[in-house]
Amino acid sequence: MSLQSARHPDPVDPIFRGLAFAAATTLLLTLGGLIVALMIGGWPAISKFGFGFLTSSTWNPVTEVYGAAGPIVGTLITAVLSLAIALPIAVCVSVFLTQYCPKQIAQPVSTAIELLAGIPSIVYGMWGLFVFAPWFARTVQLPILTSLDPESFWGKLLAGVPNGANIFTASIVLAIMILPYMSAVFRELFRSIPPQVREAAFGLGCTSYEVVGSVLIPYVKKGMIGVVMLGFGRALGETMAVTFIIGNSHRFPDSLFASGSTLASTIANEFNEASGVHLASLIALGLVLFLITFTVLAIARALLSSQRY
Amino acid sequence: MSDTDFQSVITPPPADQLVLETRNLNFYYGTHQSLFGVSMPVKRNGITALIGPSGCGKSTLLRTMNRIYDLYPGQRAEGEILVDGENILGPKVDVTSLRARVGMVFQKPTPFPMSIYDNVAFGVKLYHKKSKSQMDEVVEKALRRAALWDEVKDKLTKSGLSLSGGQQQRLCVARGIAVEPEILLLDEPASALDPISTAKLEDTLEELKRDLTIIIVTHNLQQAARLSDYTGFMYLGKMVEYGPTEELFVKPKVERTSDYIGGRFG
Repeated sequence: MSLQSARHPDPVDPIFRGLAFAAATTLLLTLGGLIVALMIGGWPAISKFGFGFLTSSTWNPVTEVYGAAGPIVGTLITAVLSLAIALPIAVCVSVFLTQYCPKQIAQPVSTAIELLAGIPSIVYGMWGLFVFAPWFARTVQLPILTSLDPESFWGKLLAGVPNGANIFTASIVLAIMILPYMSAVFRELFRSIPPQVREAAFGLGCTSYEVVGSVLIPYVKKGMIGVVMLGFGRALGETMAVTFIIGNSHRFPDSLFASGSTLASTIANEFNEASGVHLASLIALGLVLFLITFTVLAIARALLSSQRY
Repeated sequence: MSDTDFQSVITPPPADQLVLETRNLNFYYGTHQSLFGVSMPVKRNGITALIGPSGCGKSTLLRTMNRIYDLYPGQRAEGEILVDGENILGPKVDVTSLRARVGMVFQKPTPFPMSIYDNVAFGVKLYHKKSKSQMDEVVEKALRRAALWDEVKDKLTKSGLSLSGGQQQRLCVARGIAVEPEILLLDEPASALDPISTAKLEDTLEELKRDLTIIIVTHNLQQAARLSDYTGFMYLGKMVEYGPTEELFVKPKVERTSDYIGGRFG
């Protein structure tokens, strides 16, 4: 009898395989079910308002007219703004940690960043509402409001009720929330660069700035794009902190300091009291958010998998 | 003679031909000393090889010569390294311009994530503003000297990373010599290459040595014997024997050298 046939067929093996398959399938089914449920739930609103649901900025529960343009634009603006704020800072933090900072300091700072990433979003929201927004209204918004001509370009861009609850402050809080995550992943990217590449650049007589800007960042560029998209995805879907501080107004945001809303914050705010077409519209908002996030993540995945280094 | 206590036997090149000389060089990784009083006079325009068993300090010695160890806090050198008579370990030395004079090529090819052309032009751009046509000339000249021109002239805009390992290594040589250094340091440049690529790289070095000083660390004794004019044999952080390659390989003055070359240890 050969050695192979002496080994009994393992009865656990097919069971384990089945379990693994079932787990993966369940996940896929859940995803599919979610989409179907969102479509069915949102159908009354989609069929009633049609494409206008995406382009109209009227959101009126009294007259039962719902358009998602305000929340859609609010979502995109806050996500883009927060990225624009967080990205350069995250690059600087990760460059400092991997290139300049002595090892003894880099470790505690890295740990602190990971702790920041672990703070629940509602804590950021409370801080934003009770600490940051009043401070911002007092020291930034009021002086700007009183010193600018309301008819000028800047006056229009920065118009708004000086209560600190607006799109700009929401973006800053969002930026603070995605910053630790992006810094941590950027740090890993920079760490993955072989030390010889850095030495080769220094060996040609580069200054630190030239090494970082011309060699190291291009080396991890594609990975960075992926991380940016993932950070963008997070910013799109962030709910509680934004709901606290964005001001929750459904009108189309016409200035940086105007209050606004995002898809997620609108859902969180109104779900409790909604029924009928209102509820269907909220579910349709969820579907829109899902599609936007899905698109962003798909692009991120494509970029990450095409990364050569 | 115990392992750590021996007299270095140095046969220097003629004094008027020196381009670089280490004098009584000690090196420390933190508290760990890895070079002990190394003296090494290097002849201008030739190839000098450093051989010795792993961990003997030959790469460490090479890394002192352009002060690349400066990147790592805790690493420090004591003693003197004279480049054209100037001590480069001195506090007032500008390391970036030193590294333009003393280039380096590493064990693994390190092309930057940019086109072949930009890889070669990269170092030059740091020092000179050149017109496009001037830069074209510089790039072509460097690639020709690195014996890579014919293989890449039709795909200069392709990524440097798209080349084979041997081509990447010669691209790194081209990048290093494009800034016209006096000295080129090579740290086991052929250890990741196949025999054909190695032979091409060696031809390149033979060409370059006419107007460039090359210091090469190698594991490959045949390579050292084939290529170099002078050879240093290191052991346990010390320079055991240094002299003309032929003498060192044919008539070594120190028993440990002949043991190593004869394959009795190492």
